[in-house]
Amino acid sequence: MVTAVTEVKAKSPTLVSKLDDVDLKARTLDFTPSVMNSVQKKYFYLWLILPAVVVLAAISLYPFFWLIWMSLNDVGINTSSAFVGLKNFTRLLGDDKFWNGWQILLTYSALCLVFEIIIGVFIAVVINGTRFENILVTIFLMPMMMAPAIAGLIWYFLFNSTFGWYHWFLHSIGILGDTSIIGSTDTALFGLVIVDIWQWTPLITLITLAGMKRVPRDQLEANMVDGANAFSNFIQITLPNIYPFLLIGIMLRFMDNFRFIDVILALTGGGPADSTNILPVYLFEVSFRYFKLGRGAAIALTLLVVTIILGKILVRVFEGPASKRIDVGN
Amino acid sequence: MFSKPKNPLYTSVTRRKFLELGGGAATALGVGSMAVGLNTVIMKSPVQAASSDDAKWKQYAGSKLVFLSENTPPTIALKEKLKPFYDKTGITVEIITDDLPVVSQKMGIDLRAGKADFILEYVQDKPIGAPYAEYFLDLNKYINDSSLPQDPEGYGKDAWFDNYLDISCYYYDRDHLRALPYDSAVACMFYRQDLFEQYTKEFEKEFGYRMEYTKDSTWKNVHDFASFFTKMRKGGKAVPYGYAQHQGNFAWTTQLDIQRHLFSHGRWTDFNVDDKIGSKTPGPTNWGDPTSVFQMQKFKELADVSHPDNLANGTLELNTVYQAGEIAMQVQYNEFAASVEDPKTSKAAGGKTAYAPCPKGEASWIKNGGQAVNGCNAGIAGIGINANGSEDMRRAGYLFSIWVTSTETQFDQLKGTGGTPTRKAVLQKPEVKAAQQRPTSMPNALTFDAVYNYGIKDPHFVLGPKLPEANEYYNIIAAETQKCLSNKQSAAEACKAIKKRVDNLNGI
Repeated sequence: MVTAVTEVKAKSPTLVSKLDDVDLKARTLDFTPSVMNSVQKKYFYLWLILPAVVVLAAISLYPFFWLIWMSLNDVGINTSSAFVGLKNFTRLLGDDKFWNGWQILLTYSALCLVFEIIIGVFIAVVINGTRFENILVTIFLMPMMMAPAIAGLIWYFLFNSTFGWYHWFLHSIGILGDTSIIGSTDTALFGLVIVDIWQWTPLITLITLAGMKRVPRDQLEANMVDGANAFSNFIQITLPNIYPFLLIGIMLRFMDNFRFIDVILALTGGGPADSTNILPVYLFEVSFRYFKLGRGAAIALTLLVVTIILGKILVRVFEGPASKRIDVGN
Repeated sequence: MFSKPKNPLYTSVTRRKFLELGGGAATALGVGSMAVGLNTVIMKSPVQAASSDDAKWKQYAGSKLVFLSENTPPTIALKEKLKPFYDKTGITVEIITDDLPVVSQKMGIDLRAGKADFILEYVQDKPIGAPYAEYFLDLNKYINDSSLPQDPEGYGKDAWFDNYLDISCYYYDRDHLRALPYDSAVACMFYRQDLFEQYTKEFEKEFGYRMEYTKDSTWKNVHDFASFFTKMRKGGKAVPYGYAQHQGNFAWTTQLDIQRHLFSHGRWTDFNVDDKIGSKTPGPTNWGDPTSVFQMQKFKELADVSHPDNLANGTLELNTVYQAGEIAMQVQYNEFAASVEDPKTSKAAGGKTAYAPCPKGEASWIKNGGQAVNGCNAGIAGIGINANGSEDMRRAGYLFSIWVTSTETQFDQLKGTGGTPTRKAVLQKPEVKAAQQRPTSMPNALTFDAVYNYGIKDPHFVLGPKLPEANEYYNIIAAETQKCLSNKQSAAEACKAIKKRVDNLNGI
């Protein structure tokens, strides 16, 4: 772009003054009406951004501070509330369901992430550049287009031991007995992981495919000339190049797993025996089934803080190698 | 084609002006239709005590009421039968239905916010009535109001089936009438009589007595029947499993399931309070005592010989399992009889199923010296009026409440897709008496003898606990019981954990 402008200036000297004029205005960015004095001009921009600030405050900041206020108060189904200090937080320390919820959430998130990355990248590698890539991507994306609550209900029917097609199939080939996958405390969490993999692996595939389109062909060819086979090429060239893209996918899925409860509510409701009661489900239970809004706010805040910390750690862990590999790639 | 006068009286409309007008009109229409579409709307014609009954019914003609209800068969039937109410009052009623937990959440938000988006509320006794009781209007105010029409049969204890006022209308005291009994689901035994007759000889060889289910059959007998069928099934024979429990993810019915078992054996209850009225301060729970531990163990033993997918089957799923011919017995709520008797969806239809009271306590299993009874419980909902509404909204709501709980309306529902009457007078109708025998056009009536003449009467009926923290309480019972059934903890550990968590919940 810069080269193009320089060329134009060189070829047409008459345009030089006009282009410089535009350039100067763009740099100063003074759009205040000329009738304003200096004080009015000072506040002009503040008035312009005020609506955006008000909207942002209404939808984001106000609920956040309200959440903090609730976490310090005993807010229940009655409209009255009382200040309780940190009691809602200290109570969580002795709450088995709270800690159980964390444990299951971390297990669930880890399982989902690992399987989705492995399967998603594998599918992307297999279909990348094939004749049917476009149609296959369209088909793979279909589960992602479905509302999570609907996905949960569909799988609920598929897993059902009385009329579920998947249960019947797995039972017929001897993998499952008469107990459905969501009817046992040992397997229910895996049922949820299967649904999450089914619905969200396509996102990883899509992101990986986008990354693979950016892998420099000359590097791949050079590596093959050096004797690398397809697998070595993937490990040495493709993977470092798609690493930043994968990081985005991992972050998105990590945050989603900490937020999405629709499938779990539809499929197991957190049971049996709390075996799928991840923390966000427990938070929903406390807040909207028991209407213990103060306690719920305390859980929500801990979830928020830990999510931010884990997110930062995750970025640190992946960012270092990613930037190094981009340097190598360049 | 059209000529424009030189000095027109009107002025031309500019494009900007046109867009402004159009935008304003669209906004007004949108806001207006949302207000009309979602909320209760009130129109009023004043009446006096001396006005005619017809005028009293029509005093809110042109109004619209919104009723939030669980998606029960009686409510589904009611949706199709609202025209008589409109003809009588000129009031339109919109009924919004959903699963009970969702209804409870929507209602809780509406009530706590001080709003009345839903002026008529489905007051399911414990999950909704117990926590939100004070948000429902005391109906005593309108029962004695001469400017409102009244039901000729009245609203006293004798008008309704036994215990119904206590169950669904009174919370923590009998001074405030928070609702009127609207529908009921009472537990009773559904069992495959055809299979019992077919296998009775084989059963007798093994267990030494005939395989018959009567009102004197005990939980031990049920265990024997269940283990007999399950053993045959596991041996490769094409028979159903014997029994299944309500141990799915609907915590309330999971709690009710073990409550029946416990109450049958010595009338054990969770707290030492008046169980029918409930308490805001129930004191320490009885969980963890020798009776509860012993019965939890027996409950677990029954689970071990029941359908293997016990922990996935909530009430609705359990009935589906029975309809599919996968179990020979279930303790189920009587409103499901209509679906069981539907030959299009049920393998148990066509006279194969018999209905009887819930099992009796086994005398040798009683540890507290109490009485052996046919422990029976229920989900009985009242129709309540949101106290956040304006006076006129509440009065209009009262018209619907007394109409929908009248004998004629309940009889009409019973003829539809499966009503569950709450007024005694419905059972006195000759058509209903006749319908209690096969062949019948009102399948739910096949259960009436077991539930109305037996199950809901004392000493068999158990209600509680009615607590402000009822929903959390059920979740505790359900989770710890499920852990025991899935071998994650022993019966004693489960009861101890329940005791600890429940007492903590109640501030003990």
